[in-house]
Formats: sequence, C-alpha cells, structure tokens
Amino acid sequence: MNEDRQRNVDFFQFLSDEERAEFAEAAELVVFAPGENLIEEKAEPSSLFVLTSGKVEVCKRIPGHDDRLLAVLDATNERTVVGERGLLTDSRTSATVRAQVEVEAVKIPRKKFQAMIREGRPAAYKLAYCISRTLTQRLRRLDEQVVETIRELDHRRETDLDAFRDKLMTEWSLL
Amino acid sequence: MHVARLEGLPLFEDLTSEEKAELGALLEPASFGAGTKILEEGAPTGYLYVITSGAVEVSKEVFPGHRQCLAILEKPAIVGEITLINGPRATASVMAQGPVEAWRLSHETFLEKLEAGSLAAYKVAYQIGRILAERMAKTDESIAEIVAQLEKSDRDFEAFRDKLIQEWSF
Repeated sequence: MNEDRQRNVDFFQFLSDEERAEFAEAAELVVFAPGENLIEEKAEPSSLFVLTSGKVEVCKRIPGHDDRLLAVLDATNERTVVGERGLLTDSRTSATVRAQVEVEAVKIPRKKFQAMIREGRPAAYKLAYCISRTLTQRLRRLDEQVVETIRELDHRRETDLDAFRDKLMTEWSLL
Repeated sequence: MHVARLEGLPLFEDLTSEEKAELGALLEPASFGAGTKILEEGAPTGYLYVITSGAVEVSKEVFPGHRQCLAILEKPAIVGEITLINGPRATASVMAQGPVEAWRLSHETFLEKLEAGSLAAYKVAYQIGRILAERMAKTDESIAEIVAQLEKSDRDFEAFRDKLIQEWSF
C-alpha cells in the first residue's frame, strides 16, 4: 500500500514514519460496493478497517426480527475504524458492518497483524495499545449502561423482571 | 530473582527472561490484612497488584448499599491491570478475604516504560487488551441473550431493550 496514502489516515498518527512503513507493507487498500459486507456477524474474528471514504451501517440480528440498525458511520465526517476488536480476540464478530455507498478502506489483515506480534514488532504492539484504549472507553460506557438498566429493572419491582435483572447481574463480566 | 516474581502469570507469559527481569525489578512488596480494601470502586488507584498469597473478593455496587460479588481470585492473580490502560479510577472494589501478600507495580512507572518504547511494557499492554476484548465479547453475548429473551416476552420491555442495545459494542 502507498505509504503517503496511509500517512493521511489519522488512525496511524501515533506511529513513527518507520513503523508506518511496516504497516504500509501489511495493509491493503480495499473497495466495497454498496450493500457489500465489510464484516459479517458471527463470523471468524475480523480484520481492522480504517474507512477513508463512504458510509457504512452497523447492524445486529435480533431473533424473530429484522436486523437492528445500531449506527451509521460516515467516513467524511469522522475518523472511522471498524473491526478493531477482531485483532485482539479469538471470539466471533458481534455485528454486521455493511457499505451503504461505495466505501474505500485501509485493511490491516488479522493474520498479518498476528504475524507482526509473533515477530515482536513494536509497531504492532503500539497499534494494539491504541485499540485497547478505545475498547476500555466502550467498556466503561457499557458498564455504566448495565448498572443503570439493573437499577431500573429493580425499581420496577415486577416479579417477572427479576429473572432479567438476575441474569444481568450474574453474567456481568468483570470490567 | 526479579524474573521469578512474574513466572506463571499469563499477563507476562510472552515476555523473555530479560523482559521479565526489566519489569520484575519495578515491583514493590505489599501486604493487606483481612477485610482491607486493595482497590475501591470509583476511587483513584495507582497500582497493579500481583497476588502471591491469599484470596481477594472482587465486587461492584449495583444499588446504593448493595454490592454484587463478581469473583473470588486466589493466587496467582492480578488485579488493577485494567486501570493501567483505562484511567486512574477502579471499576470494581477488591478486598482481601484473609491475609494477602502481593507485589505491586506503579501505573506511573509502567506508563513511563510505555512512553520510552519498552517492548516489555507493550507486550503486557497487549495482553491486557486481549483480556478486554474477550470481556467485551462475553458481555456482548450476555446482552444478546437477554435482548432475545426480552423480545420473546409479551410484556412492554422495549425501553429496556433499547437501552441495552444503545451501547452495544461492535
């Protein structure tokens, strides 16, 4: 991938020129047609995509219903990164990311990233650190939301809500 | 000697002996009596603790005055690792169940190592990131299950369902 192109992607600004060059070797420029999936829900862990143009929607399956739209991300308005969790986890993906219009993106393939980690390359570890910081912010928000919901469930004091409240409390992951 | 302090701990398993010695040298001993709070939810904390003897209880306050126990951790265990990355305030309380012996690593010192480009520190941060990513995936699955149950119900659960979905990670 062209290193100058990558330099324009804000997401890589925390890397030195030398480290950017390492990712330039690993990265690929990809284009998605409208309606094409960048990431599919419940699939193998994803690669990371930094969107450079276009718009994507994030959807999640609700059993017995149509896909639920969670967000629309517009690369022209904000720095947009999807699939970053996939670089760090072995778990399957949790949502579908679909192009609404033609989308251009820089892809960091998961396998190449993992190879860089195995080789002990600092650039890969720096990227992992950057992703971790993003994940912690999301986890904090999710954590607050779970607490708030548990409190509301309790406040209603309806017997059949107890099961849901208890489930939330039992399954709560240690944040 | 410093290397031995970190042996057998998954958080440090990717480190070479030299790297373990580098971080192990930064550890300070710490002791806690039964019932002592090692970390307090919402309060500033400046250390990661490697528990080398005893057990600790991890809990969160769900309702005012009501704590939910999330886990009992026995040696060898690590607590306070998440705040190394996500900021100075503890997201849960950790209390010694009996006498506890530990090594502690100052967050400030660790962050200085990161800033200096220490590969050992980056490797530890990577492992913490993996823990976070797995926890996020697990939380996500739990919420998905609860939302599915809410959908099956004939009661008006829309408000709760929407609240849960709102902050869904992806």
